[in-house]
Amino acid sequence: MTGARAPSQEDDLLAAEYVLGVQDAETRATLEQRIKRDAVFAGLVTNWENRLAGLNEDYIEEPAPDLLPKIEAQLFPVMVSGGRRRLGWFAYVTAAAAAVAIALAAFIVENPLRPGLAPLLITLASADLAYEVRADGTTLHVKRVLGGPAPAGEVHELWLIAPGASPVSLGLLGDAPLQVAYPVPPAGWALAVSVEPAGGAPRSLPSGPVILANVIGS
Amino acid sequence: MVEADPIADLLSRIAAQDRAALTKLYAATSAKLMGVMIRMLRDRTEAEDAVQEVFIRVWLRAGRYDPAKGRGMTWMIAVARNLALDRLRRRIEDQAPEHAAEAIVDQAPTAERRLIAMGEAGRVADCFDQLEPSKADAVRGAYLSGLSYVALAERHNVPLNTMRTWLRRGLISLKECLDK
Repeated sequence: MTGARAPSQEDDLLAAEYVLGVQDAETRATLEQRIKRDAVFAGLVTNWENRLAGLNEDYIEEPAPDLLPKIEAQLFPVMVSGGRRRLGWFAYVTAAAAAVAIALAAFIVENPLRPGLAPLLITLASADLAYEVRADGTTLHVKRVLGGPAPAGEVHELWLIAPGASPVSLGLLGDAPLQVAYPVPPAGWALAVSVEPAGGAPRSLPSGPVILANVIGS
Repeated sequence: MVEADPIADLLSRIAAQDRAALTKLYAATSAKLMGVMIRMLRDRTEAEDAVQEVFIRVWLRAGRYDPAKGRGMTWMIAVARNLALDRLRRRIEDQAPEHAAEAIVDQAPTAERRLIAMGEAGRVADCFDQLEPSKADAVRGAYLSGLSYVALAERHNVPLNTMRTWLRRGLISLKECLDK
């Protein structure tokens, strides 16, 4: 299917400029969208990455501090990290969630349509911030259960990541719980929260730091 | 290409959610990625933050890496450079381009020398040698330090469109030479 169309030199040069990085933010954003949709163009980009890879030798190695604990804490907030305290905290949240679930289970009988009673899908948590994501099959209900909103001028944005796919924004997380029409994402998919400028990521990918992430069913 | 590529192997394990592979990948690649970030962002604190984000992205996107299309390290550096470029382009339109230009002048010639020593990448060096020195310098500066057309035009004291036409000619010659 691909290869039916011969790429133009203009496209090839756009791909080269993209890999060099000389374009402005707007052009880069447009081309990033195109890379996702257009396999021929994506191939041109990969070819330029490979052509210029020899230059990577000129990046001089610099010892990095051990950032792995921070990385793991972001990717696997529940399992990893400073041990007891986090674990204790998580146990507390789990117990609290269980208690709430039991209370709600009792309540749900009376109010079967009330939102927010959907089964807990995943918790995205760090030491001082946590969001709970519930899924009822048609809607995801996302609620902050620990910590505060992003500082003024910034906002938390929620992303869904299917294995091997680009993150998809599910919306901005303000003070009110977020509700998104979406089926239950399967195990192995990830949810993440990034900090974005007010109004959300300027393009369709996270632009700020990812502060919370977790894989469904992990 | 049947060459061993340990980074590619680690990436495929990461795509299968193997956490031990992430630890190994960090040990194997963090110094190089730190080098990329310091060169491009020119700020150690921001570089550390960016390296952290690269590994988050790598974990989340490893399934998209295809070993048939390139080496694992090339892919990792592309992820890192794209992140650095996004951050650079978000800064106020290329503040202090003179500063960036200095960075290139300082470090430029070492690339070729080391590439020649490597043999494998000798062709890149040869092809850069065939470019006019100022064109080679512009391509290298853009790639390694993340200079934009705006910064390059300022540095070479030409209008932006002239810079673009001129750099594109350099890219075409480079491609002809590299694909020979």
